[in-house]
Amino acid sequence: MKDAPLTLYVVDDDEALRRSLLLLLFSQGLAVQAFESGEAFLDAVDLRQPGCVILDLRMGAMSGLAVFDHLRSQHSPLVTLFLSGHGDIPTALEAVRRGAYDWVTKPDTQQLLDKLPAAIAEARARGQALRMWEELTAREREVARLVGLGQPNKEIARVLVPPCGPRSVETHRANIFSKLQCANDNELGRWLAAHPWLE
Amino acid sequence: MFPLFKPHHWRRALAAAGALALIVVSGNWAEQRELQAKMEALRQASAAHVLGLRGLVEKHDFLPYAAARHPEVQHLLNAPGDTALRTRVNAYFADLQSTTGAAALYLVDRNGMTLASSNWNTPSSFVGESYRQRPYFEDALKGRRGLFYGLGLTTGQAGLFIAEPVRAGAGVLGVAVVKISLDPLERVWRHSAYPVVLRDSHGIVFLSAVPEWLFHSIAPVSDADSQWIRAHGQYGLRTRFDLLPWTITAGKGTPGYTFKTPLQGRGANLLALDTPLPELGWTLTVTEDMRDVQQAKQAALALATLAVALLLLAVLYWRLRERRYAEQRTARLELEHRVEERTRDLQEAHAFRKAMEDSLLVGIRARDPEGKIIYVNPALCAIVGYSAEELLGRYPPYPYWHPEDLEKQARESDEALQGRAAPSGFESRIRHKDGHDVITMVYTAPLIDTDGVNRGWLSSVVDITAQKQAEARQRDQEVRLQRSARLASVGEMASTLAHELNQPLMALSNFAVAARALAGRASPDMLAGALDDIIEQAKRASEIVRRVRALINPQRGHFETFAVEDIILHAEALLKPELQRNGVTLQLSMENPAVQVRGDKVLLEQVLVNLIHNALHAMQELPRQRRCISLTSQRSGPCLRIAVSDQGPGIPKDQLEQVFAPFFTTKPDGLGLGLNICRTIIEAHSGIMTVENRDGGGATFSFTLPIVP
Repeated sequence: MKDAPLTLYVVDDDEALRRSLLLLLFSQGLAVQAFESGEAFLDAVDLRQPGCVILDLRMGAMSGLAVFDHLRSQHSPLVTLFLSGHGDIPTALEAVRRGAYDWVTKPDTQQLLDKLPAAIAEARARGQALRMWEELTAREREVARLVGLGQPNKEIARVLVPPCGPRSVETHRANIFSKLQCANDNELGRWLAAHPWLE
Repeated sequence: MFPLFKPHHWRRALAAAGALALIVVSGNWAEQRELQAKMEALRQASAAHVLGLRGLVEKHDFLPYAAARHPEVQHLLNAPGDTALRTRVNAYFADLQSTTGAAALYLVDRNGMTLASSNWNTPSSFVGESYRQRPYFEDALKGRRGLFYGLGLTTGQAGLFIAEPVRAGAGVLGVAVVKISLDPLERVWRHSAYPVVLRDSHGIVFLSAVPEWLFHSIAPVSDADSQWIRAHGQYGLRTRFDLLPWTITAGKGTPGYTFKTPLQGRGANLLALDTPLPELGWTLTVTEDMRDVQQAKQAALALATLAVALLLLAVLYWRLRERRYAEQRTARLELEHRVEERTRDLQEAHAFRKAMEDSLLVGIRARDPEGKIIYVNPALCAIVGYSAEELLGRYPPYPYWHPEDLEKQARESDEALQGRAAPSGFESRIRHKDGHDVITMVYTAPLIDTDGVNRGWLSSVVDITAQKQAEARQRDQEVRLQRSARLASVGEMASTLAHELNQPLMALSNFAVAARALAGRASPDMLAGALDDIIEQAKRASEIVRRVRALINPQRGHFETFAVEDIILHAEALLKPELQRNGVTLQLSMENPAVQVRGDKVLLEQVLVNLIHNALHAMQELPRQRRCISLTSQRSGPCLRIAVSDQGPGIPKDQLEQVFAPFFTTKPDGLGLGLNICRTIIEAHSGIMTVENRDGGGATFSFTLPIVP
């Protein structure tokens, strides 16, 4: 299966820096969409689509961290790579703790180029996961969540609305394993934990 | 272009057909009407002619009857040889004839021989003539009254013969005959406008005002009839009776008929009415010229055509008028609409202008070339405090001119009136009616009317008092801001600087990496662009550095002389919250608080803040009760020495020399610029900054400043 086109975003309020990132990534063969503020980025981009965003931590109006918090609250699959200054490293660390992918310290261009491929790979993986997840029916997703929590079939059948028999839960489970390419409950649980942004 | 089935074409065709029908109908109607009138006239004429004819016949009708009963007449028949009697009868007849005006009266015996006659003494006397072959004689001999019209055998004169048998008992002795001439009738007919014709029972015309028609038959005469006529000598020796030169057309719904015939050398179309006279066996035909009817018809046709044409014209005119009216109406409506629109536009424009003028915060004042105020808007009144009534019509000096600036105002006013006002406006101080000063900005422009004539000058007056005050406040604030910006801790400033510098450096690095990647691959333009950007970002970085340097470089312009306690107390006040938070006590020991030094107060405060801050930082590991900073100021030769000591671990011996070096730091996120900057500042104030470890532990940072005598 061919990789779906992945969108790369740059959000930075510094015009020169933004332009330099565009040129840099372009020179590396990457297409980028740039935004001058967090607000503009959140307004323009479909946050439900996978992609990778290079986000400056220190910006005038809305800080990079605020943008990231918004992405998180929207369960966005976007992979976030922060740009931070030397003095902002504690903030960047905190962001990564909250689920940001990584950060790059300014003015280290090489670090950015080193970290970006992995970030893009992660974004692709998320895109793949999202597609698989979207193949599930609403019912199956519900069942998958409950299975991921380690609930037995009987309990799941009881909890579901409307409730159904443990047998059909078993069918759902088989479908889920097949669609998400998981072998067992544990794998499914890990898979779900790896993609907490899935709805 | 004109489709056949357009409704209005059908309408036109229909209208044309209607008009034609109207013309035809009116023609026919007029014809019928005239025809009926003619027919009526014909009937009357016919009745009159019949009456005349009957009168003539009846007038002589009795003559033969009376003569037949006369005794001498009967005697004569019995005694034809009695000459005396014959003479008497002749005289009697002649007397009767002359009295009644009959053509002749005579007596015929049973053999048809005439015995006596009224014209016995004329050359054409009937006496001795035989009339036995005459039909009237035959009839009378059979005991019937004989009636016959024909030419006289003797005279050749046409006449009506009435014969009465002379009876003796049951037998017939002879016949008494009276001949009546119809000439008087004929003469009358000749005077009639149109031909009157009498036909006999064979259809042969025997009496007519038109001589050509005489002895012509209306229908072909059969051989038998012809023979009979010949035998009875009715019309002399004539045996041929040509047909009348009439071309007959049967009448339409009327008893009459019309015929065409040549008459007096030209063709005539005549209307004819036949009246049969059964007692005589004749038919009377009276005629009228059809010309009148035709003329009436033509006149009616012409009239109708004219009427239709008039109607058509009227319709056309009406339609034209309607169209023109409609056009005018449309035009008028359009005009009204436009006028309305225009009015609305004008009203809107006026309302808009009024609203604009009234709501303008800018005062508007218009003056004529002499300087008379001709217009002011509410904003201007509000600015100057005078009402429009108080201002309109005023010449300079205006009431709101500032008493202190009268001369300047007059000069500016003159310049404006001469068109030399600066287009960028000039500032003008005026005096509000209630006495306070208002600073305004006045912009003057020529007031040009639609004909291009300069009708005066329009000035917009902006109240900039608030702006001026704001500017003054702003200036104050800026100074204060500058001070507080410089008051921010040097460390903080250094962090900001780092971020600021990181931006162009990162961009620079990005551009450079991009340029390397692009080199040889992409277009030279792109590469050149990236390199230009690199240069640009390097400039930007150096600009940031320059700005920081300017910030920390004491400027002589900011130098002032002040008591040393000013900066020490201020620094203490600035750090008080932080000191309290960390449980640190600051001991101040000033030898002479009033000693005067000279320098940039803000920067020197900065140095103090930085040193105290560092001291505070050095004691983080100490228990709270031991956290104490002492600040002393004492004279040292011509200088003042200020020292900040802490109770911390002190500085390792090998690092004592490095603490002032740039980028030396012991803090994890420090930049190592603070002390370096502090020393730079002190050196700029002609002082020296030193550091030493105290004997009892801790470090002492001190600097000197020259004392102002």
